[in-house]
Amino acid sequence: MLRYLRDSLVFAPCYIALDWASYIDPVGPFNITPWNPQHGLAITWLLLGGLQYTPAVLITEVIAEAVVRNLPGGYFIAALTSVTLTGGFVAIAWLLRMLLPDPGLRSTRHLTLFVTVVTAGTAISGLAFVGLLRGGDLLGATSVSEALIRFWIGDAVGILITAPLLLAVVDAERRADLLLLAHRPETLLQIATLVGTVWLTFFGLGGDPSRYFYFLFVPLIWIAARGGMNGAVVATAIVQIGLVIGIHHETAGTGVPVLELHALVVALTLTGLYLGMMVDERERVARSLRESLRLAAAGEMTGAIAHEVNQPLTALSNYGESALMVLEKRNITEPTLRDIIMRMLEESRRAAEVVRRLRDFFRSGTTRLESLPPEELLATVRRIGQQVLGANHRILTVRDEPDLPPLYVDRMQIEVVIRNLIANAREAIEETQDSTRAIDVQLRRYDDKHVCLVFADSGPGVSNDLRNRVFEPFVSGKPTGMGLGLAISRAIAEAHGGSLEARAARHGEFHLILPCTPTA
Amino acid sequence: MHPDGLTVYIVEDDASVRDSLGLMLGLAGYRTVFFADAEAFLAAWREEWAGCVITDLKLPGASGVELQAEMQRRGSQLPFIIITAHGDVAAARAAFRADAVDFLEKPFDHGQLRAAIQTALSQEDQRLRRAAETDRLALLTAREREVLEQAVKGLHAKEIARVLGISARTVEVHKTRLMAKLGVRNVAELVRFAIAGDEPETRK
Repeated sequence: MLRYLRDSLVFAPCYIALDWASYIDPVGPFNITPWNPQHGLAITWLLLGGLQYTPAVLITEVIAEAVVRNLPGGYFIAALTSVTLTGGFVAIAWLLRMLLPDPGLRSTRHLTLFVTVVTAGTAISGLAFVGLLRGGDLLGATSVSEALIRFWIGDAVGILITAPLLLAVVDAERRADLLLLAHRPETLLQIATLVGTVWLTFFGLGGDPSRYFYFLFVPLIWIAARGGMNGAVVATAIVQIGLVIGIHHETAGTGVPVLELHALVVALTLTGLYLGMMVDERERVARSLRESLRLAAAGEMTGAIAHEVNQPLTALSNYGESALMVLEKRNITEPTLRDIIMRMLEESRRAAEVVRRLRDFFRSGTTRLESLPPEELLATVRRIGQQVLGANHRILTVRDEPDLPPLYVDRMQIEVVIRNLIANAREAIEETQDSTRAIDVQLRRYDDKHVCLVFADSGPGVSNDLRNRVFEPFVSGKPTGMGLGLAISRAIAEAHGGSLEARAARHGEFHLILPCTPTA
Repeated sequence: MHPDGLTVYIVEDDASVRDSLGLMLGLAGYRTVFFADAEAFLAAWREEWAGCVITDLKLPGASGVELQAEMQRRGSQLPFIIITAHGDVAAARAAFRADAVDFLEKPFDHGQLRAAIQTALSQEDQRLRRAAETDRLALLTAREREVLEQAVKGLHAKEIARVLGISARTVEVHKTRLMAKLGVRNVAELVRFAIAGDEPETRK
């Protein structure tokens, strides 16, 4: 109850102040103005707080009629119009609550639902409102259709601009994003450009602002493309404020087509909101893909490392068991407990080293670069070849050039790449049923700072249309492949400042380019 | 605890795991021999080896499962225990299809490992005993074998004599001699021996 009162006491002055500030260019003495931000406030409040605030909204609306417009149609009409307006808010808020899982406007679908409900809802409540005034013969010289259009555009603009901004400010996560956005230097430049364009449109160039209005789309699109939905709601609010100031400024001048300007604002707002939403969605998809790629890469790393962690762990537990047996059977002199414990310490150091690497990888996905002599890299290729190819490891040949510089790589991550490439080559040659199956790995100089490890196999090679796509996640040339191996491998190569490419050839050929150790 | 003459053969490429496993099993009283890979094991292998093999699944060159297959191809019945650092379902399935005693994931539970070794060694012990008995049965003459066949049916000397058409006295002589050859003291032991001796034949 106390909360209800407190919220109402915050809401009512805000509503009345907004109503007063936006009460410009009305149709007769009634609240049919070119934009009604207070209606956006009311709907946001009902949407977030719940429909139990309906009475508070109704009372506030009546007070606003009295304070801002001095009850132009008398108490009876004021009560009727207030009930009509409030009924419209409640209907819109109720529908939005039903249709949206949360009021955060997080997808294009939600945005479309929001826009549809708001435009349809304001049209219906506009019909009722204007009909009421017409019935009371209070419209004066204004025609019903003009009053209706004005009411509709004014309400729709007010709600479409105000509600998304308020929803963004209320949502903790989006508020944090907004603050982050505000701290970007680029944002300052964008706002300055936008404000400058607004000034030029409404004041600087003189004459009819609607003639230059399209200029505003440029900074708006810039802001929405870079800042997403958050940027878009702020930008549209700035345009609207500029417009209102412009109209106030020009009140004497009769030439300002207020209605046309607001119709343009509707178009501008919708463009901004949709563009911002799409940018947000794309960013979200890209982020989740990056995340899952990193997880998958971490999974691959874990697989490669599990073996290495388990070895020292196994040795540790064996030594522990042995130490227990030495303790229990006192007649054993060789080996001594001290000897066993020394070996245990060595094993725990070994385990810790492996775990530290895994942790480094999880923490940042960064690489731990170290100098690796070319012969060690080739030994690694041979070892992995033996593991992957098993009894067939003799089909693997490994070659290099003389005087190659040492590489500068993360040994574990490069092992993941080599393992992937050799496993791919093995599967490629298994498809061929060829008696001349072969995998050839050659290390060559690439340029001053890079070497190239060429993986050639006697398989059919990657088809032309797959050649670039095969590195995309979830694209696989194999019926059973997950399509992550090459994507991860390329990500690792690029994290090293190298690259991984499939070459056009009659056989399978991949080029893995890796950096050399920088010479001091 | 573990029959004499049986050895645990360890095939493991990781030096620390090999060393610690050898130390632990050595302290537990097993005789152990080590190899770093399948090729070294196969090069050293002799037909008379008895005991069990503990092998890592992933080895440089041939894998543990491939080693087991090769041993089976060579006619060895050495039981295998396969250990691995990857809980690899496909590999476990392959190991079981190849009749491994157990498939343990590193780091393994020592109780499980000991139990697996015990199972493997008692399998091996039984196999050796059966082989010895088969060898001894081979020492019998044709007539002694006929007498044995009848005796294990529960027939007395006179009845056997009637069936085989020889004198009861001769039956007694054959019976005494064959019991000496087989190293049994009474008919009950003889029956048990005959059953055990038959088993490998009926299995094949």
